[in-house]
Amino acid sequence: MTVVLDQVTKSFGDVEVLKRLDVTAQDGEFLVLLGASGSGKTTALRMIAGLESTTSGRVLIGERDVTHVLPKNRDVAMVFQSYALYPHKTVAENIGYPLRVRGTPKADMDAQVRSVADQVQLSDYLARYPRQLSGGQRQRVALARAMVRRPAAFLMDEPLSNLDAKLRGHMRTELKRMQHDLGVTTVYVTHDQVEAMTLADRVAILEQGVLQQLGTPKAIYDDPANLFVAGFIGSPPMNLLDGRHEPGRFVHAGGVLATRQRATLARATLGVRPEDCRTVAAGTGVLDGRVYATELIGDHTLVTVSVGPAPAGGVASRMSADAGAMLTVKMPKDHEAAFDEPVGVAIEPETQYLFDADGARVR
Amino acid sequence: MRERRLGEMSPLAKVLVYSVLIGWSLVVLFPLYWVLITSFKLPGQVGDGPDYLPFLDFMPSLHAWRYIFVDLGADTFRPYWNSVVIASVSTVLAMLVGSCAAYALARLHFRPRLISIGLFLLALALVVTAMATTAVPWQLAVTAGLAIFALAVRALRRAPSPRLGNGDILFWIISQRILPPVVAALPIYIMFQQLGLLDTRTAIILTYTTVNMPIVVWLMYDFFVSIPVDIEESATLDGASKLRIFLEMVLPLAKPGLAATSLLVLILSWNEYLLALFLSTADAQTIPLLVAAQNATRGPQWWYMSVLIVIMILPVVALTLLLQKFIAKGLLLGAVKG
Repeated sequence: MTVVLDQVTKSFGDVEVLKRLDVTAQDGEFLVLLGASGSGKTTALRMIAGLESTTSGRVLIGERDVTHVLPKNRDVAMVFQSYALYPHKTVAENIGYPLRVRGTPKADMDAQVRSVADQVQLSDYLARYPRQLSGGQRQRVALARAMVRRPAAFLMDEPLSNLDAKLRGHMRTELKRMQHDLGVTTVYVTHDQVEAMTLADRVAILEQGVLQQLGTPKAIYDDPANLFVAGFIGSPPMNLLDGRHEPGRFVHAGGVLATRQRATLARATLGVRPEDCRTVAAGTGVLDGRVYATELIGDHTLVTVSVGPAPAGGVASRMSADAGAMLTVKMPKDHEAAFDEPVGVAIEPETQYLFDADGARVR
Repeated sequence: MRERRLGEMSPLAKVLVYSVLIGWSLVVLFPLYWVLITSFKLPGQVGDGPDYLPFLDFMPSLHAWRYIFVDLGADTFRPYWNSVVIASVSTVLAMLVGSCAAYALARLHFRPRLISIGLFLLALALVVTAMATTAVPWQLAVTAGLAIFALAVRALRRAPSPRLGNGDILFWIISQRILPPVVAALPIYIMFQQLGLLDTRTAIILTYTTVNMPIVVWLMYDFFVSIPVDIEESATLDGASKLRIFLEMVLPLAKPGLAATSLLVLILSWNEYLLALFLSTADAQTIPLLVAAQNATRGPQWWYMSVLIVIMILPVVALTLLLQKFIAKGLLLGAVKG
């Protein structure tokens, strides 16, 4: 079923944590709400669940306006960051609780609990208590409890953040497959862009209660709507150069870059992803600089190039913005460069993103 | 920090630990033993000085037991039954009301306006003055008072006023225990005198319930806030009603707190002396009063007192042993995180 936040606003006293948020999760879609802490993503999720009231706007699940419907009547299942298992109930009782509340006959309930436990590989643990389980197993109990009835939607609040890195990667894959198989609309909150990009059909990026962009992971990566999204998505992050823009060219302290845009902007920011840059022989690229450091990551090497006016001296002044800019360039893993070696940086005009002083994209 | 088990200790440490434990047990248990053997002594033997071992130091006698159970008879059983009824009913009431209040304070946010509280006190004062100085029937006075209060709150609902929070309410509740009870004893006496309830169990039950409620609220509040709210929210989304969550999630998880608090409150009511002394004369007398009464014109009757103390301690000891298994920690383990 679709899940719709229609012009939803939420204020706590004078603080507006969500501003006219408009998001729709299509039927069966995996929608990720991505943002830093304080962006309002968890509040948005709790409003869908009904754990938080709306200040204005509507929440719809399917065709039904549930804005003023109690959480228990919204037919959504939620997985909490803390898992929120019932410590005094066994795994089987935990998983079966939503069914028991609905008065499902005992035999039916047992069969369904067993079938769901099978799916998440918990069949051998049904008689145990949560305290006797590992973190990953507790996580699966929480998932099974959400899956056991077919809810209109799954709501997940950072469900993987308490797992260690290896298990998190494994559970991410499992989660994606499970959601695909069940085909239940899922709204998933995270601050981890890797989780967002890998899991989502579409990602909604929130910052300070305002929706920045809603689109497929590919669209968000390739076509960021504004400076915030451009800087937020991508690891290592996009290189951002400050300067001014004249029709067809961007003027930066370190050089002049040809652009396709015709705007005239006294202050502008040019963004380019590390993988869209190359280091070339000094004087042959669009920008000139010196190698600040190289880092072998494994399958690639990151070269940090300092461009712009030569630093006055000392690390502190090199790091300051006035001295030019630091550009991260992604190179093949066998690339080698010496400290302070003069290099050029080549950038194709079609891989550049231009933003005005307010951070809006200039196309 | 790793827990060190007794079995892993060196023999010397073990001897040390055991001797400290045994020594302290003697300190704790000896007075109880002393009371027990005193209840089997004749008045003369009590006066003779310390005799410790029955049959060796002195010949045990049942005279004190016979006096308390046969000679006094009904005069023993009535106060005893009074104590049982008063302590258990007041504990149940205080736990019921106090736990609900504590849960509400732990989960809901109250923002009472100071001005509304002021208006309530004003209306209360009006009602009391009206009833004291004129012949207004109390039903009329109370209704009028409530109406005046409601109208005043409505009229002043836009007036600026500081608001209080849950912390203030909680402190106000516990502050009721700061005053020594003896200060309130006389007003309470006069109140029940006016109500014609002196020397009734009802009066003492109501008083104990009121006096113990702050302790229940204060202790249970801590137990309720320690239950992760995620558990309750999760149960809500699983479809459970508020009442069902309270009964199936909150109460089972607060069981250790409920057991410990009710035991404490029960013991406080069971042993209470001062307020019972004011509120009862004969019919509603409780067992602590009977114990004290043994120190009469003939001097302290240690042997009778000892019998009463023994039968007074027994139910409390039994109950403590019964509730001990609930007062275990770690019930919340595994609820959240890894």
